[in-house]
Amino acid sequence: MAMLAAPGATLHLQALGPAAALRPTVVMAHGLFVGTLASWYFTAAPALARERRVLTYDLRGHGKSARVRDGYDVPSMARDLGAVAAEAGQAPFDLVGHSYGALVALRFALDHPGRVRRLVLVEAPLPPSRFREIEDFGARSPEDMAASLPEALRGALASGGRRATRLVESLRFLAQDTTLLADLGREPDVADDELRRLSPPLLCVYGARSGCRDVGDRLARVVPGARLEVLDAGHFLPLEAPAELTRLILEFLDG
Amino acid sequence: MSDGDTRTETLATVERLVREVMDDEAGLGPPIGMETSFSNDLELESIEFVALAEKLQERYGSGVDFAGWLSGMDLDRILSLSVGDLVGFIEARRQEARG
Repeated sequence: MAMLAAPGATLHLQALGPAAALRPTVVMAHGLFVGTLASWYFTAAPALARERRVLTYDLRGHGKSARVRDGYDVPSMARDLGAVAAEAGQAPFDLVGHSYGALVALRFALDHPGRVRRLVLVEAPLPPSRFREIEDFGARSPEDMAASLPEALRGALASGGRRATRLVESLRFLAQDTTLLADLGREPDVADDELRRLSPPLLCVYGARSGCRDVGDRLARVVPGARLEVLDAGHFLPLEAPAELTRLILEFLDG
Repeated sequence: MSDGDTRTETLATVERLVREVMDDEAGLGPPIGMETSFSNDLELESIEFVALAEKLQERYGSGVDFAGWLSGMDLDRILSLSVGDLVGFIEARRQEARG
């Protein structure tokens, strides 16, 4: 397995697409709890990888990355992302994030002007502490958390078999044995003044039925030149609307 | 070597790698045959399927393009694959390579 020894945690990395491509590399970050790099690997990444290198990775504590106890705050995770992006070399790269992965991507782009060529934020929750799905997650038992998942995932869990057991175990680890929920609760908003200084062109994609749908309006209003697209879905767009989301990302990166 | 032998060998390799990604090297999990479904029978997690694709790529090399094969399917289709589907894909690509 391709593992990357980032300073805070060993991260599981998967690269798709040609090693030497004409188009800029894309780095993709997934969302918390039920997300892994498979959220992108089996949805938008293959189409993007036809003409470019795509780097997907498991966030710390998720998938096959190290199950570390702390460092789930956005700045720490943005440093993880930086370690992954360093694998792409020094040229500007495109960056795509879903949910908390989008907040991590946003932080990285704000802190490293010139490193990110284009930025795609899918369902970024702002401020992070207000994110209804995550707040609900924190208040629930791992079993209830699993029950609040999108239908596509719930179906797989209905059996109560191996996959369900492993997902609940992973949720329990993240919710109870790590600082993740406390880190989330402390995560500050990104001020409008800082958002206005975001340098790469920005595409925001939100679900019409998502609890953080209005954040898309805020980003589109505040970030100069930002484009907002709303899909007929909820928060888990990579799973709920993979084809439409992939098309939007491709159009934006290729345009 | 007959095609039957090759197919049996490929199945044995796939079974060994599947058990590796499921942390079941001892073979205590469900039996694995051509009809076994990755989702319904083995309950493989999507991240484990990624790990399996990587192991298969290491074993069979660039002539057997798993990522390319999977990229033509949506997640539901991928998870509904059987072990036999995967063995068939590997065999077809290896036969092409042999000309």
